[in-house]
Amino acid sequence: MISKAIIQQLIDKIGKENVITEAEDLLVLGYDATPGLYHAPDVVVYPTSTEAVQDALQIARNEVLPITPRGSGSGLSGGSIPAKGGMVFCLNRMDKILQIDEENLTVTAEAGVITMDLANAVAEKGLYYPPDPASQKISTIGGNVMEDAGGLRCLKYGVTGDYVMALKCVLPDGSIITTGGKSVKDVAGYSFKDLLISSEGTLAIITEVTMRLIPPPQTQQTMLAYFDDIKTAGKAVSEIIAAKIIPSTMEIMDKTTINCVEDYSKIGLPRDTAALLLIEVDGHPAVVAEESAGVQKVLKQVKATEIHIAANDEEALELATARRMALSAMARVSPSTLMEDATVPRSYMAQTFAEIERLATKYDLTVGTFGHAGDGNLHPTVLCDERDADQMKRAHAFFDDLYTKVLEWGGTVSGEHGIGIAKKDYLARQVGPGGVAVMKRIKNAFDPDGILNPGKIFFD
Amino acid sequence: MKNIEKLGNFTVHDAPKYEDILQCMRCGFCLPTCPTFSLTGRERSSPRGRVALARAVSEGKLEFNQAMKEEAFFCLDCRACTTACPSGVQAGSLMEICRAQADQQQPLPKWQAGFRDFILKKMLPNPDLLETSMLPARLYQKLGIQWLVRHSKLLKLGPKWIDKAEGMMPELHQPLRQNLPHLSSATSEKRGTVAFFLGCVMTLMYAEVSRQTVRVLNHQGFDVITPKAQKCCGAPHMTEGDRETTRQLAQHNLDLFLGLDVDAIVTDCAGCGAALKEYEELLEEQEDHQRLKKFHSKIKDISEFLIEVGIHTEGLKPVNKFVTYHEPCHLCHAQGISKQPRDLIKSIPGVEFREMKEANWCCGSAATFSLKFTEASQKILDRKLDNVKNTEAEVLVTSNPGCHLQLDWGLREAEMAQPVLHLSELLGEATPD
Repeated sequence: MISKAIIQQLIDKIGKENVITEAEDLLVLGYDATPGLYHAPDVVVYPTSTEAVQDALQIARNEVLPITPRGSGSGLSGGSIPAKGGMVFCLNRMDKILQIDEENLTVTAEAGVITMDLANAVAEKGLYYPPDPASQKISTIGGNVMEDAGGLRCLKYGVTGDYVMALKCVLPDGSIITTGGKSVKDVAGYSFKDLLISSEGTLAIITEVTMRLIPPPQTQQTMLAYFDDIKTAGKAVSEIIAAKIIPSTMEIMDKTTINCVEDYSKIGLPRDTAALLLIEVDGHPAVVAEESAGVQKVLKQVKATEIHIAANDEEALELATARRMALSAMARVSPSTLMEDATVPRSYMAQTFAEIERLATKYDLTVGTFGHAGDGNLHPTVLCDERDADQMKRAHAFFDDLYTKVLEWGGTVSGEHGIGIAKKDYLARQVGPGGVAVMKRIKNAFDPDGILNPGKIFFD
Repeated sequence: MKNIEKLGNFTVHDAPKYEDILQCMRCGFCLPTCPTFSLTGRERSSPRGRVALARAVSEGKLEFNQAMKEEAFFCLDCRACTTACPSGVQAGSLMEICRAQADQQQPLPKWQAGFRDFILKKMLPNPDLLETSMLPARLYQKLGIQWLVRHSKLLKLGPKWIDKAEGMMPELHQPLRQNLPHLSSATSEKRGTVAFFLGCVMTLMYAEVSRQTVRVLNHQGFDVITPKAQKCCGAPHMTEGDRETTRQLAQHNLDLFLGLDVDAIVTDCAGCGAALKEYEELLEEQEDHQRLKKFHSKIKDISEFLIEVGIHTEGLKPVNKFVTYHEPCHLCHAQGISKQPRDLIKSIPGVEFREMKEANWCCGSAATFSLKFTEASQKILDRKLDNVKNTEAEVLVTSNPGCHLQLDWGLREAEMAQPVLHLSELLGEATPD
């Protein structure tokens, strides 16, 4: 429980409307989109400036209260869940786009700006911000940086972290620093901003970001390819890359996913096909024509059953939107969805699919798989019921086995969702005791009292 | 009624299903579509937050308390979240059920409950009483008292909602129900016969609109049967959490309309249409499944019907105007009818259609929301009016009386020149005598 005096201090510093203590408000700020994880905060603040973050943080520090930063709560590893209670910092009222710099090709925004709003704002100036996590309509840019969010276009354009130029943040000791800048080159000292990317709010609270922009591709072409079995789809991915073509998007959906998505979107996806690839090539019209022809040639060689070219931009958008719905759409058919974020070197794609199939049979589970095939980043999703203890046990065993293989192949336990609360033991397996020890030392250097987002990334 | 186990802190009667609540996987895709979340930025005022509150009640972690009740009623029930939700969560319907729970668990003070019951249980289910009760309002306008009241600014002294309610009242005509013949015959080559479901607000406040609906249908080649015995669709009762009266009204209308030999049951009120289509779920425990299905399949919004049968545009008079369209929530989100009204508007010769931004964003009317939460409603309305203004359209078309009242009032208050027309009125303008 937080004392009345502390609440009063917060109100005095950052305003009554920005301090939330009602039980019903706290009740709904203890989750994100990760199933089964929940912990309510003791108090929630909605700072509206970097200084307000600093003020609230100082109060929390004096009381040694745990602090958990939060954007929209759309994360998939429990990163913004206040695992130890304390104070949640909701940054979504810091939602101003501060500057679009057309000379330096950057955008500077407060951390709570919605990713898509940022992308739309720069698009109005004829610029392009490529990272597009599936939750872009609601995720915040600060949250994206903290988790180093990916998306559908990473194959060609990279992930959120590749676009970070500068970050303004408040450190656990209460100081405000800005790291990085608008210079294209910058090797002055430790690359502190890179350390903050994907630090999941454990080292600092980001309040402002400056992101790199690029000119938009002049044109694009979207196509769908259908396959008789998912391993052939995996093969198609490797062969397209081997043909030296880097599409902007190469997404895969298996039969279970296709059917769930079609249930919601009703755009005419073929329900009986085993797998489909959503492929997009973009750039100069001549390049697009050439790459599109190249992709189609490979698809025919590996014997895709059908190739469908999107007739126009609206249809292309419809297809991409449908893909973004995949996880949520799967929640239609089962009370719970347990999704993972396994990522392997691309050349292991076909093996990964085979392994998923084998393990699903072994543990008698329904698994829908979709993901960023071009990145080797898959989201095998177990359709389950969290009230069925035995089934949940089997689901966890499924992922345990799968990760053993993924790590064997040189993959990673998280491609884009982060470690959070959900994957601490997997991380320990991946980086080993030595790796965890170094991370802890870094954490300790920033946050000796351990007040910033405790209970995340590694075990205490 | 089946023997159901009590779900957490919900009462057994009219409780939500736990499966429906669990369906939410908290992805947050609903958040950017929710007008109340956009207004407050508070998670509990979002679909995801409301479902989480209901989940806490269902798991015994939260009493069905004042906050739960507040959120159930602060929800506009606009169903934008239903459209946005890939998991199929129906947060709006869930909040309707929570309103019924509020009715049981957080009863109103006696005098308020008495007034509410008088309206819901006595007046609305009885069309004759309802029509008589509107007589003073018509006299109020006819005798010039309205002019006097408005110019004296007398109502500014009272609570805001009274002033707004008075200001929203359109020019009243005689209720249509008594004036429409049982059968209005097709005026061109006959294509079929439809029944007309005439909503309470339509007959009382927008009699001229529904007259146009019938006229358009006749001109399009349809005999129109308007049964005088029809009663309120039950939407107001559902909205207020009185599911028992809703079921009684639903049963009456179902029996009445299924007794008619018609191709379709057409309505020009989006709210009624949505409610009628929900009879299937509402009555599932007391009615034959086939009859419910048949009834559902016959319910058609006027735009849905005309596009389905194909509108005959030859002979229509040109309407040379820039037109924009506001989508009623209960048409686009509750019934999934979005394209048809636009297609109809575009089919009228001379019309130039201008799409507005956020056309499917609520206007803030939402049954009694606009009177209960005047300030929140005003902010939602302002956002809508800005979007209307930016189209520079000359006419604003919509197709639901709730939106119609709110938008008409809003445009007048904002001194904007555009008239609000029901889609039937626009079609009526193009239909030759």
